[in-house]
Formats: sequence, C-alpha cells, structure tokens
Amino acid sequence: MVPRFETGTVPSFRILDRMCYNNAERLPKQKDVNCAMRSKKTWISLAGLAVVLILNACASERITESTSVENRPKNTKVVNGAVDFDHELDRYIPKKDHYNFYFTYKTVHPWWDAVALGMEDAQRQFLDMGIRITYEYMAPDGASAEDQKERLSEAEKKDYDVIGVDVADEKIISPILDEMVDSGVKVMTFSSSDAAEGCKRIAYVGNTHNYQDGADLTEALCKKLGHKGKVAILVGSVGAPCHEDRARGAADTIAKYDDMEIVATEYDMDSVDKAYDLTLKILEDDPDLDGIVCCNMSNPVGAARAITEKKSDAVIVGMDHDEEALHYLKDGVIYCLGVQDCYSIGFDTIQVAVKIADGNKPGELFPEKTNEITTVIYQEDAAQMLELLYGDVQ
Amino acid sequence: MNGKKKITNRTIVLTAVIGSIFVMAMITANTLWSSNQTGIATDEAVSEVSSFYLEAMADRRSRTITNLINSNFDQMEKAVELIKGEEVDSQDELRHNIGLVKSLLNLNRFALVDEDDIVYTQYTTYTGRSRHSFLADEQLNGRMISTVSIYGSSKQLCLAIPTPDLTLMGKPFKACFVQLDIQDIVDLLAFDDQGRTHFALYTKDGVNLSDTELGPVILKYNFFDVLKNIVTEDVWEENHENFENGRDGSITFDVGRSEETLCYVPIQDTGWEMAVLIRDSVIRDKISYISDRNIKNSRNQIIFTMVSVLSLATILLFQLKRFSDDMLEEEKETSRTFKDMANTDSLTGIRNKHSYTENEKIINRHIQAGEIQNVGVVIGDINGLKYVNDTFGHAAGDKLIKDACSLICEYFKQGAVFRIGGDEFAVILQGKGYDSMLEVIDELNSKVEDNIKENSVVVSIGYSVLKQGDRHLKDVFERADKMMYERKKG
Repeated sequence: MVPRFETGTVPSFRILDRMCYNNAERLPKQKDVNCAMRSKKTWISLAGLAVVLILNACASERITESTSVENRPKNTKVVNGAVDFDHELDRYIPKKDHYNFYFTYKTVHPWWDAVALGMEDAQRQFLDMGIRITYEYMAPDGASAEDQKERLSEAEKKDYDVIGVDVADEKIISPILDEMVDSGVKVMTFSSSDAAEGCKRIAYVGNTHNYQDGADLTEALCKKLGHKGKVAILVGSVGAPCHEDRARGAADTIAKYDDMEIVATEYDMDSVDKAYDLTLKILEDDPDLDGIVCCNMSNPVGAARAITEKKSDAVIVGMDHDEEALHYLKDGVIYCLGVQDCYSIGFDTIQVAVKIADGNKPGELFPEKTNEITTVIYQEDAAQMLELLYGDVQ
Repeated sequence: MNGKKKITNRTIVLTAVIGSIFVMAMITANTLWSSNQTGIATDEAVSEVSSFYLEAMADRRSRTITNLINSNFDQMEKAVELIKGEEVDSQDELRHNIGLVKSLLNLNRFALVDEDDIVYTQYTTYTGRSRHSFLADEQLNGRMISTVSIYGSSKQLCLAIPTPDLTLMGKPFKACFVQLDIQDIVDLLAFDDQGRTHFALYTKDGVNLSDTELGPVILKYNFFDVLKNIVTEDVWEENHENFENGRDGSITFDVGRSEETLCYVPIQDTGWEMAVLIRDSVIRDKISYISDRNIKNSRNQIIFTMVSVLSLATILLFQLKRFSDDMLEEEKETSRTFKDMANTDSLTGIRNKHSYTENEKIINRHIQAGEIQNVGVVIGDINGLKYVNDTFGHAAGDKLIKDACSLICEYFKQGAVFRIGGDEFAVILQGKGYDSMLEVIDELNSKVEDNIKENSVVVSIGYSVLKQGDRHLKDVFERADKMMYERKKG
C-alpha cells in the first residue's frame, strides 16, 4: 500500500503584515538594522502604491502599510521571524558580576511566561560570561493596579539593582514610578505596557505600537466584512495601556467607516472564562454580530469558544499566540492574530536592565523605547506558527 | 569369455567425463537450490528479525528513559532532604542551597514551589501557576510526571514530588520539580546506527515529542494523521487504542517497493510511547548481503573444488591411463616372455618341442584345407651325446647340443629349426627353404663327413616331403625320422 501522504509538504504562508516600528533612539544593533532593512525593502516593493501609502502614513503612525489579503506575498521567512528565538547578547560589558532585579507584570498568564523564557535565555548567556543575574518575576492571579502598587512598595524597600514594571494601569502606576525614580530607585517598564507619557521611568522594552496593532487588526476585520457591520470590542484589563491603546486603535478604525458600528466594549480582565461569558452576552444582545476585535491574549480564546458554541458567523480578530487561539485560527474560527515577539521582549529586558543597573541612560547603549515587533498571521500561517511556538506538527 | 565387453581406454575416459559432468550438474543444482532456499528463508527471517530487533530496541530505549526518570526522582528526594537539613532564612540562602544541590546531585532545572505557587530556582523566583500546569492541582500526591510544551517549540518532561514537611524562610513549601529537556533525552537515546533505524517519542494523541523523524513517511508529523493514510481503518483503530491504553504494538506497511516495520512500547508513567522504525529493506539488504556473500563464497569454493577435482581427476585419469598402458605393455611383455619361454628351448635358444607342435597344428590345418602342397621335414639327431654326457659330463653334452644346433641352424637358414628332444632337432621347410632342401642336406652331410674326421659334432639327418595322401605333417615327420634312424644305423 503506497501512502497518500505527501512528505515534506510545507504549508504556504501569506502574511498580512509585519509591523516593524522603531520610534526609539536605539543603537543600531543587528536586529534593528535588519528591521530597518526590511522596512526599506517593503517601501521599495510597495512603491507602486505610493499615493495610498502616503495618505495612510499621514493618517496614522504606521511605518509599513498592509496590502489586501489577496495581494500579500507569501513570505515564510517573515512568519518564521515573528518570534526571534535566536538571540545573542550585544557587546556591552557589564560592570558587576552579579545583578539582582525585580520584575512585576499584570497577571499570571502564559503570555508573560513566554516573556520569562527570553529573560532566562539572557540570564544563561550572562552566566556564560561569568555574570550572575538573579531576579524575581512576580504577578498577581488577576490584573490589579492596587496589587502592583503594593508589590512595588515592597520591592522599593529591598536593594534591587533595577525594578521592572509591566504597567497595570498607567494612571495609577506612573506616579508611583516617578516617586521611586525620585527616591533613587532605577525603574524601567517592559513587555506590552509602558507608563504614561512623561513618566520618569528610565526606559521601556516591549510593544510600542499597541494602538497601531489594534488599528491594523480592525482594518483587516473591516475589509473582511466589506466595511459594514456590527462589531464588539473585547479589552483586557481596565487601565492597562496596551489593552486600552489597542481598543482605541480599533475604535478609531471602525469610526472611519459609516456602515460600521461598535455595539459593545467589554473588559475580560485577562480571563478566558470572562471573555467567553462576555461574548455569550454580546451575542445574546446582538445575535447578528458581525465581528469581534480582541485586544489581549485571553479575549480571542474566550470569544472563539463562544462563537463556536453559538454557531455564530462573527469574524474574530485578536492578539497574541495562545495555543488554543492558534488552533481556532487554523480551523478558521479566528480570522487573524497579531503575534508579539515575547521572547525578544524578555531577552532585551534583561539586557537593558543590566545597562540601567550600571548607571547608563538611554542613548548610545540602548534606546529609551526598545521596540519589539508584532506579526499578523492568518489561517494559512497557523500550522507553522503552532510548530514554531509549540512544536505542534500536524 | 567372449560375451564380456572389453574395458578400453575410451570407456574409462567416457565414464570419467560423464561422471564429472553428472557430479558438476549435481553440485550446480544443489547450489542453485540452496541459494533459492536461502532467499526464501531470508525473506521469512526479515520480518521476524525486524520485529524482534525493533522490540528489543524500543524496550531498551524505553527502559533508559524510565531509569532516567527514576534516577531524577531519587535525586530530588535526596535534594529535599539536604535542603531540609539547612537553615534557610532568606531567598539568597535558598538560591545558594538550590545551586549546591543542583550541582551536587546533577539535577537539571531543580526548583522548589511554596504554598503560593511561587517557584524558586537557583537564579529566579517567579509566579508559576500558569507556567507549570501541575501546580493547578489541589494537592500533589506522590510522584508526578507531565509533559510540558514550552513556548518556542521545545518540550520538556516535568517531574515533581510533594514536599509536605518542608518549611523554608518561614513558609511551607508544597513541591519540588525538575524539567528534563526532551531533546536531551533524545540525545541520550540516539546512537549512530547510520540511519538504519528511526525512533520518536509520542504522546497518546500521536504528537511527536522528540522532534525526530520516524522514517521517511511519518517524519515528524502526528503519528495518527499519517497512519490514517497508510494503513486500513481497522489497523489505525487498533493502534490508536494501543496508544490510548499505553500498550505496545507493531505495524508493517509498504512504502513504494519496500516495507517498513515499526514497533512501539509505552514508557512507564509518562503517557508516552516510544516508537522505533526500521525499513525491512535495511535488514533484507543486510541479510542478503551476508547471504549473497556466503553464496558467492560457497560458489567460489564449489568452483574451486570442481576445478581441483577435475584437474585431479584428469591427472589421475592420465596417470591411470599411463599406468594401465604400462601394465598392458608389461602384461604383453610377460605374455610374450611366457610365450617365448613356452616355445623356446632354454639351452639352444631355438624353438622347442611345444613350438613344433603348435606349428604342426597350423600346418596340419593348411594341409587339410589343401592350402599347402610343399612342405618338408628334416630330422637331425646328435651322435654320441650319451657318451659325451657320461664321459665328459653334462656341460660337455650341452656344448655338443649347442654345436649341433648351430650347425643345423647354419645350414637351414630358410627353415624353422626346433629342438624336439634331448639330441633330436626337426626342421620344417617351406617356400625357398623347401626348394633348396636337398641341396642344403647335401652340404650338411658333407660338413658332417668333415666333422667326423675332425672329431667334431656329428648329426644324422633324415628327411621327407609332403606326399599325396598325407593328412598330417606327422606323416612327413615319421618318414623323415625313420630315414634318420636308418641312416644312423648305417
């Protein structure tokens, strides 16, 4: 019996967008150079759409512009580069042989576990250089600015070289960070949520383009729906800058189209179960819902579960790389996902923290904002992304 | 005696050639039959050997993993005991102690977990509930093994044990664990067999954990996704159930012209299955190679033996022929000698009485057939032989006989001279001898006359020829003999 299985088949990839932002004053390290080169190439390749690009560039902060789904070039390399697992420390020579950090993030969640793996990679590489990095990486079970406030208060009392914060609520946390900096504590922000504009924190490593991520995902949704229909927005934690920015990006995009309407905006507080319940309720209120914009990692999973259960035709666009969400993407329940490079966020956070601990300021050694990329992937990309992130070879 | 066929050289050579061809044909047929049987036996053996080989290999590798797991559990228990014995009041001290036991007991990524699910490693402290699924369980009862998919596609085996009596920094600790990178386990299992076998670790759902290719068809894909396309539904169901229930099994399937066999065995407590695959063609090729080599060697040996035997047989044949020729020649010589001895008088060297008789028989046949008209017989008798013997001895007598013989032979050169008695000679004359008979007798008698005077050998002669009515030579002989006696008297 001859097997019908075709060996060595590689799924084809069609990338909607790979957003590469670099609005920070960073040193031109290799990754940035590559990123810039990719942007340049994209510019050249899209020269034919110059007019549209200029108009869109004026209307938003985006550096690259997405083309229509149908016209996307197949680019396996870009998908493979959505998360960069191959990092090397830069040439900076730390001044000490031991650093002790404290990091706190919004909530216990697999997204930040992915960031932790990048941190551990950097820690191992420093150890190979003979430099011992120790740190705490702590979060509450549910996102809470109050909890974060307490944690920072406790951490401030200890002699950490740097305190890193994934801001739970910029309004509440930013002033606290300012106070800590004023009292001589070296503070940085990381992962997906920076502090409020003007905060004295020394630097930020993470997603600097949350608003644009929300706008891009929503734009894809609008195109899919023919720029008309009812849309719900699921946000994560109240006040979490990344979630709020994405929600704003989504709302602003929808507002551009007269035939589109936002029927609900709900917060799941980074809980899949809550996202599921909220989606069920939204569907109950609007059974003919056309689409859902999900602004965090838990939203798309909860929404997809509810959509599947209710057999709704609502189109889901969302964020991040949850394994279940990727399976929903593969099955066509979710239309597209914006995958952030968590690994790089973690790795770069440790590198920048070491430099900050040594008394360096943003400038030549590191930018004030180290940007990490987001890549939007579609159904045809899901299998490879599952393989890339989870080794899930089907 | 005439009914028996004579064994000739030709018969021997023919027998040898036919015998050799027959022997060669037998050996060739036997070789071909043996080759064929070997081929059939090889095919039968391949399947059995494949399964046996794979089962043994899968078992061995499975045991290696089980031993590794058990060893890590034992080491973790020791680690907890060691830390229990230490005064740990701060996180720094805890990290230091974790580092010590890690290096002392060679534990990879050893971590302790407190009652709030805070994980403590040598370098980090983190909230671990979302990262380590076993922490979601209310209570950890005994040893726990789970497979963890790590972001970035690596997979790890998490081994955890409860630590009920462990209190550090004033906090109760609930568990400790190690995480073994599956790639490290794969490296431990891998050995260089030059790509002849493939192995992979699978979850119950057929997900490849080891990131190793299970042959050129299944590769790294989900075991059951691929299997669906290459075996019947029944076989698929059976093997799926085996995986589900942690049982072992084996599957054989065709890939193009070759056959592949895979065996899988469960790995204790892990929920994994260890699958090992080998292409039957590999074993078949190997066995065939050995078999072909043996057959070739046997063939060469047979050819060598045949050539040697043939050479030896040829040499022997020639030797035998030569020997038989020699024997035959010797036989002939002996026969000739015996014949000569039978027909020759030993004293004089001329033909004897027996020879005379033989010749007489032949001549008689010719007389009776009317083929001979002219034949004469001369009888000569030595005078005084008894006297010489008695007086001068037998040596002198023998000399006298020899002299008489020489005398007769000298004169009857064209006749056959026989010594037919002690002092008696007969000469048979035919052809020219017959024609000159009387003339020669006269000459001889003349000579005898001279000899009488010289006191030399004296022979009395009588003769006769074949006459009308004679049926036998004997008739001629008797007349000649009578004449000789009469002359002797006279």
